[in-house]
Amino acid sequence: MSDDHGYHHGPHEWSHGAPHNSWAPIIISIGSGVFLFFFAKAFTMNEGMNGYIYDSAPLPLAIAGLAIIFAGLISWWKQDFSFDGSYEPQATHGSTPFSNVDIRKVGMWVFLMSEMMIFSSLFATYIRYRTSIDSCYSLEGTVVEPGTACWLPASYFIAKGGEHAHSTLGFMPDALVPGAINTFALIISSYTIVMALKTAKRTDLEHAERSIKVRNYLGATFCLATLFLVMKMIEWFIGFHIGPFEAPSLLSDQFTIHNDAYTYNYGHGAEAGAMTVDIRMAASIFYLTTGTHGVHVFAGIVGLGYMVVKAHKGGYGPGNSVSIEYFGLYWHFVDLAWVAVFPAFYLY
Amino acid sequence: MSAKIMGFDAYNFNFFWLMLLTAIEVGVVAQSENMAWATLIFVLVSIGVVKFIGIAAVFMHLRFSPDSNVLTATALFPVIFIVLLVLMVGLTSPSAVENLPAFCRPGYYGL
Repeated sequence: MSDDHGYHHGPHEWSHGAPHNSWAPIIISIGSGVFLFFFAKAFTMNEGMNGYIYDSAPLPLAIAGLAIIFAGLISWWKQDFSFDGSYEPQATHGSTPFSNVDIRKVGMWVFLMSEMMIFSSLFATYIRYRTSIDSCYSLEGTVVEPGTACWLPASYFIAKGGEHAHSTLGFMPDALVPGAINTFALIISSYTIVMALKTAKRTDLEHAERSIKVRNYLGATFCLATLFLVMKMIEWFIGFHIGPFEAPSLLSDQFTIHNDAYTYNYGHGAEAGAMTVDIRMAASIFYLTTGTHGVHVFAGIVGLGYMVVKAHKGGYGPGNSVSIEYFGLYWHFVDLAWVAVFPAFYLY
Repeated sequence: MSAKIMGFDAYNFNFFWLMLLTAIEVGVVAQSENMAWATLIFVLVSIGVVKFIGIAAVFMHLRFSPDSNVLTATALFPVIFIVLLVLMVGLTSPSAVENLPAFCRPGYYGL
């Protein structure tokens, strides 16, 4: 916190219009709860558990949830837009263990701790079922009752290319290319966001020049994050058919959450065989985990969109560069989650 | 952060190695048909751990900042719950222990 307020520590003054006294996060949380509850109610699994029943009645309330989220975001951004860093409360000296650490920074880390628990629960679920269901590979050559549940990992379709192992590059199947591009996109975006922070802290640049550079780095991060989601949509729903590349989507490969009769072909020549298996569990956990990660990327894109606009208006400088740092913590966490998700779900 | 690693800007240094490790990671998987399964897993986990540390330490400022230590402790706090989750949920399948891969069982490493 700056000296112009006459004291150095503690969020004891709430009249600044600074974002630290905002109700917006609570409004956004309520909106998220309303949206998720009613969106989930619109879809129910059928009796055979191999499809769903759609009911449009809850959708208006789900849309109302989205409207609440949007209102919370607008409110938050309006408060933050004028924030120039002149009021950055710190934990009171002596309040161990966070003495003199920015309260927002601690808050962001506590938030990231809760995020770690979300992804850990997904990984625990993954381990739980992967260790308890036979791998489809291990059933090859045996007599299998049609509809037997077995684990056919997403890597069968992605890293191995499934039954369509077309390889334009020669050293990897085309199906793996979107995932590989995404991995590089996230790593590069982590770099561009720290470069935005580093540039915002520079005092040797004129404000206008610094603002343009910060905007460009944030804009690059925004584009890379968007590329990530586009590639994910291509991989899931569209298929990678760009130029010489030829990889069907996971949907057209029938890797879906209600496929209880997947025809798994294996082997070559005299050892070739086929069996009809239930792959719902592997598909469900894959889509749930990578989808949860994708939602985090989308949330990051929304935040980045705002930050690009603020940077374009010259809103970031050495005084409030920490705002970029705190968003960066979230963005690096999304990258970290991908570091774990990519090998576990795409490669193994 | 104006920290340096081996004389190089920490951000640039970290980015270079992260890109290199990612390229190796993807390349290893592309050649996975020619590798032993245990070797593949070992390489992927090793690269993942190094990338994890690189991102957390340098990009997330858990090193080279005055408040790095207390924030590192904060970030590591959930690890105990994560371990509990994996042990109490991840491995609670009735056959999980018996069906653990050989490399997770006693004796595999001659110990």
